[in-house]
Amino acid sequence: MQTNTPLNKKSDSINNAFASKFAKSMFLTVSAIVVLSFIATRMFTHVDLNLYGYMVGTIVFIGGFFYRFIAWGERPPTKIFIKKGLKLLKRKSTPKTAVNHLAIYDFIKNRGLYRWIQHILIGWGCVLACLVTFPLVFGWMYFTMDDMGQYTIVLMGMDLMTVKADGIIAWFSYNALNISAVMVISGVCMALYRRLKNMQARAEQKFIYDFLPLYLLIFISVTGLLLTVQNVWLHGWMQPQMSLIHQFSVIVTLIYLPFGKLAHIPFRPVSVFARNYREHYAEQEEKKCKVCGDHFVSVEQSNDVIQVLGVNAIEFNMEDGFNLAELCLPCRRKYRISRFSGFATHQVKVKEANQNAKG
Amino acid sequence: MKKRLYLELENCIGCRSCLAACTQCGGHEERNRNYVYDVNPLVNRQTMPLMCLHCVNPACARSCPAQAIQIHETGAVLSALVEKCIGCQNCTIACPYGIPKFDTEQNLMYKCDLCIDRTKDGIPPMCASVCPSNTLQWLTDEEIEAKQKQFNLDNGKWVTSMPYLEGETNVRVNLPGILQGVTKLF
Ligand code: HEM
Ligand code: SF4
Ligand code: SF4
Ligand code: SF4
Repeated sequence: MQTNTPLNKKSDSINNAFASKFAKSMFLTVSAIVVLSFIATRMFTHVDLNLYGYMVGTIVFIGGFFYRFIAWGERPPTKIFIKKGLKLLKRKSTPKTAVNHLAIYDFIKNRGLYRWIQHILIGWGCVLACLVTFPLVFGWMYFTMDDMGQYTIVLMGMDLMTVKADGIIAWFSYNALNISAVMVISGVCMALYRRLKNMQARAEQKFIYDFLPLYLLIFISVTGLLLTVQNVWLHGWMQPQMSLIHQFSVIVTLIYLPFGKLAHIPFRPVSVFARNYREHYAEQEEKKCKVCGDHFVSVEQSNDVIQVLGVNAIEFNMEDGFNLAELCLPCRRKYRISRFSGFATHQVKVKEANQNAKG
Repeated sequence: MKKRLYLELENCIGCRSCLAACTQCGGHEERNRNYVYDVNPLVNRQTMPLMCLHCVNPACARSCPAQAIQIHETGAVLSALVEKCIGCQNCTIACPYGIPKFDTEQNLMYKCDLCIDRTKDGIPPMCASVCPSNTLQWLTDEEIEAKQKQFNLDNGKWVTSMPYLEGETNVRVNLPGILQGVTKLF
């Protein structure tokens, strides 16, 4: 069995100063947030204390996030994709793949238009909300009113632009969070409807994994919208209480995020790495099937998979001298049949047929 | 009562009912995840089904960088989680039997999940429910043991799992007829 010995045993003093990778990442990130907030709030003179809860919540979230993702990144197959993916980021196709995979989700459209619309609404609703909320919370962005009727948007301590308080940009700025809430609520309702009605979706779902994140998102969006309702129509009635409830909903979701279904959000960029990896190494050299001679995967990926399985003490060397990983998939299936029957099915030059039933 | 999928391979008559049934499982989106092969296609009509054997130490799940392939508490090795699979196809290359299928358009792997919506409640999987020739059966360990006694050849040729497969599996496989030299009348 192979063990994973670190390739470069640098006695790097920075790395040794921390008990673990986890402690180091945590320390650096929190320091960065504090420094950014210090600069952006003009030395903490513009901190909104109502948002204190979010700050604590975010710090706890970052802890959970690093804990989960460092454990993940240490798994042998994950490590390979992250390491080689980072190297291949300079490929020409990266921007296109990234937009496709991370922004417009073409592949979800191929799973169904309904699922695609649902995810666009949830995903982009959340992204929009985060783009507005986080800069506000950490004081990276705020509004000041120097002259009557004129707002100045301050980004990272610099005056970004001055807009009319009743102008269109101002309207979008106040309402960005409401728009995002409506998007998320519609998207989540679509998801809930699908989970309740669609037999395909119902088959494998679990409460904690599939429903809890949806309820959390609804909880956030509804309490957020209620804040606006109280503001506009109820003269701020009960608003401080609702504000606390809303904060609570966001904090719980942030803490849950690295562990449940929503963990796909920070991990999905690896799909771009995986696509680059497959494209790049397929151009380098392709593996030929030991039986039929067809190309079926890049040599690099084949070797990586064999190595990863080796780490897990799995090896498929056959008595007749080859490794199962050297066969293309149809030949591998036929080889299995031959081992069951004693007749060399994989040597018969007939393509596999009749394997896809029409449902 | 825990039951297992048990295959008596040479009973197969090639009707492909199991393929059709597999399209109808919940979550399968009308695509089958199993295979039926002609053993010696240019000579005779013997066929055998091939499906995921639900390895105890599954190569597909071990090779997945996204932890998209979960192992259910019943031992079933599930299909990729739709939001986790990043489409690297490691699993298809890792599986010793070439079982996982990959959809490039959807950037998603899908494989036999032992009809988990049924088997988690003790209901037999779709393929075993429809198989007309008793090739695919859903049995308790005691029943499988009884079969083992019934077909015992005293020559060690009882082909269930180890050492005849690449690793320990949750599905049990057997070929009593062929190994006993009994000609079956289909
Ligand atoms: C980095 C970009 C993202 C990618 C590539 C991505 C990808 C995916 C995929 C492939 C699915 C499965 C969809 C299906 O097959 O029906 C999914 C589901 C889901 N995503 Fe994302 N996602 C991203 C960002 C987000 C964001 C920002 C959110 C906001 C919270 C989010 C929330 C969800 C939810 C709640 C589900 C489950 C829907 C259900 O219950 O069926 N995703 N995502
Ligand atoms: S037979 Fe293949 S797909 Fe099934 S559990 Fe084993 S490795 Fe995974
Ligand atoms: S294709 Fe999907 S399920 Fe298979 S190894 Fe890659 S990420 Fe995992
Ligand atoms: S157990 Fe279910 S998913 Fe697996 S091959 Fe049979 S019908 Fe298909």
